[in-house]
Amino acid sequence: MTAAPKNDKKGLWTRIIEVWAKNSRLISLIFLILAILFPIVFNKQYYITIAINCLIFSILSLSLNLITGYMGITSLGHAAFFGVGAYTAAILSTRMGFGFIATAILGTVFAAVFGVLLGLPTLRIKGRYLAIVTLGFCEIMRIIELNWMSLTRGPQGISGIPKVSIFGLQCVKPIQKYYVALVLLIITVLVIMAIMNSRMGRAISAIRDDETAADAMGINVFKYKIMVFSISSALAGLAGAFYAHYMGFIDPNAFNFDQSILILSMTIMGGMASIPGSIFGASVLSILPEVLRVVNDYRQIVYGLLLAIMVVWKPNGILGGFNLKHIKQRLDLEKLKKKGSEEKEAENNV
Amino acid sequence: MSEIILKAENVTQRFGGLVAVNNINFELRKGEIVGIIGPNGAGKTTFFNDITGVYMPTEGKITFKEHDITGKKPYEITALGMARTFQNIRLFYRMTVMENVMVGMHTRTDANLVDCILRSPKHRKTEKEAEKRALEVLELTGLLDYRYQYATSLPYGLQRRLEIARAMASNPDVLLFDEPAAGMNEQETADLMEFIRKLQSMGYSILLIEHDMKLVMNICERLYVLDHGNLIAEGLPEDIKANPKVVEAYLGAGGVITDEDA
Repeated sequence: MTAAPKNDKKGLWTRIIEVWAKNSRLISLIFLILAILFPIVFNKQYYITIAINCLIFSILSLSLNLITGYMGITSLGHAAFFGVGAYTAAILSTRMGFGFIATAILGTVFAAVFGVLLGLPTLRIKGRYLAIVTLGFCEIMRIIELNWMSLTRGPQGISGIPKVSIFGLQCVKPIQKYYVALVLLIITVLVIMAIMNSRMGRAISAIRDDETAADAMGINVFKYKIMVFSISSALAGLAGAFYAHYMGFIDPNAFNFDQSILILSMTIMGGMASIPGSIFGASVLSILPEVLRVVNDYRQIVYGLLLAIMVVWKPNGILGGFNLKHIKQRLDLEKLKKKGSEEKEAENNV
Repeated sequence: MSEIILKAENVTQRFGGLVAVNNINFELRKGEIVGIIGPNGAGKTTFFNDITGVYMPTEGKITFKEHDITGKKPYEITALGMARTFQNIRLFYRMTVMENVMVGMHTRTDANLVDCILRSPKHRKTEKEAEKRALEVLELTGLLDYRYQYATSLPYGLQRRLEIARAMASNPDVLLFDEPAAGMNEQETADLMEFIRKLQSMGYSILLIEHDMKLVMNICERLYVLDHGNLIAEGLPEDIKANPKVVEAYLGAGGVITDEDA
């Protein structure tokens, strides 16, 4: 087999992706440094507030991507798990005086438990039917939050949630909260990367591509679905716990169906099965409403236009449809082969 | 004769009123290549699915390496050492050739969620083992050069071979091939035959369903012939060729299977 013929007419986008794949670590590091420097350079409450929003929604979008992008299960109820985390944190901190670390852990655990509880009876059904079930779950959770007055205080919401504090250190300034959110996002990214670059990740991708074949390869499909669903819920719960402490006030409206759709839009627009994609999608859809404030009346038109352009131009999402690891492996192998054949040629010439 | 590794006793599969597989007794011995043949709709694939756990047989018992596997799930049966390919190719299309084979290693590795997230030594060992075994299998199947390409980008014959490679990666004792030569040209079929013989020499026991008479007659040591869910003949390829019942099922009364067909 000879190496693929050299294609000199590679598109600009392909070239960009190849450069990115070759230097993915460096580029990630640059983005991380930019994220760390951002609040120092743009030290204004308005900017930082938007940035924190981006970070929270990045966690949500990433966690949804784990089930939707990587495993191929569409969920229309992701906000429900966000809500479980937020309510857990709000109730535990206002009534029992738990600190942020404890509520973050418990919010994560509770959301995971709800993920398992929803998954056990429903994850045997597939596709749009499952999507409808998750939508129903989101509504049920919202109605519980609205009506269980003694626990959630219903439509009044829970106020007076203490500020984020870590080991007694109160995060009062926006910049401190920003860094806490950034750390949570980094944890999320690392967890997802660790899972996807492992035996489990391969099983998850296999389930997405062909369930029957995955089953025949010895993968317990149902167990994996439950596990991944609960990890995804857990990460959403983590975002929820931070959100509650960060806002200081929550009510059921923050966790409704619209929010679920917003998170799903971020995941799909950013790119299925893509970590940078999810962060990008979440950032764009968090910043866009702010940017479009000037053309407030036409905001929906701009949204629609963007959506239409995207569906035609990049149906896989803006940063979706490619896998940096695969591209790098392929390029490295091509390089190795080229080197090998050059050496052979040199030998022949001698 | 070597020991029986896979055995089906009185297996019947009904779908409502339809009897797809009727009271079939079957055995595969260690190191054998056995073929199941029959016209379209004879129940070959249904029987295959009964063995591999995709369907649960309505009646009967299936034993694999002294384990009763009747009604077990496909993933459990694979873990016991049986691996299969599919009639209509079912590869993981958004994964590379190498990753496809590494998925086949799933039952032979056991790093769990915590290992994966914390990148524990067990996880690293698992990855190393999986990679090593995958490279071995790819070398053996001649797919090594394609390892970082997507499964979809392979030509048809190689996709079939990748399915076999993926099945081999799980270190099975028994390999089940569902029409491995379907859609292949003559050269590809000849290569496949040679490859299946090589697998036998490596110690695998092989069961295959096939339409290609040439392939079946050439490499199978014993044959089972199904028609309308019934077992109409079993035995050596030569005997099967001469069996009037088989000839009738394939060609209608009065037909002859000539050497050109076989």
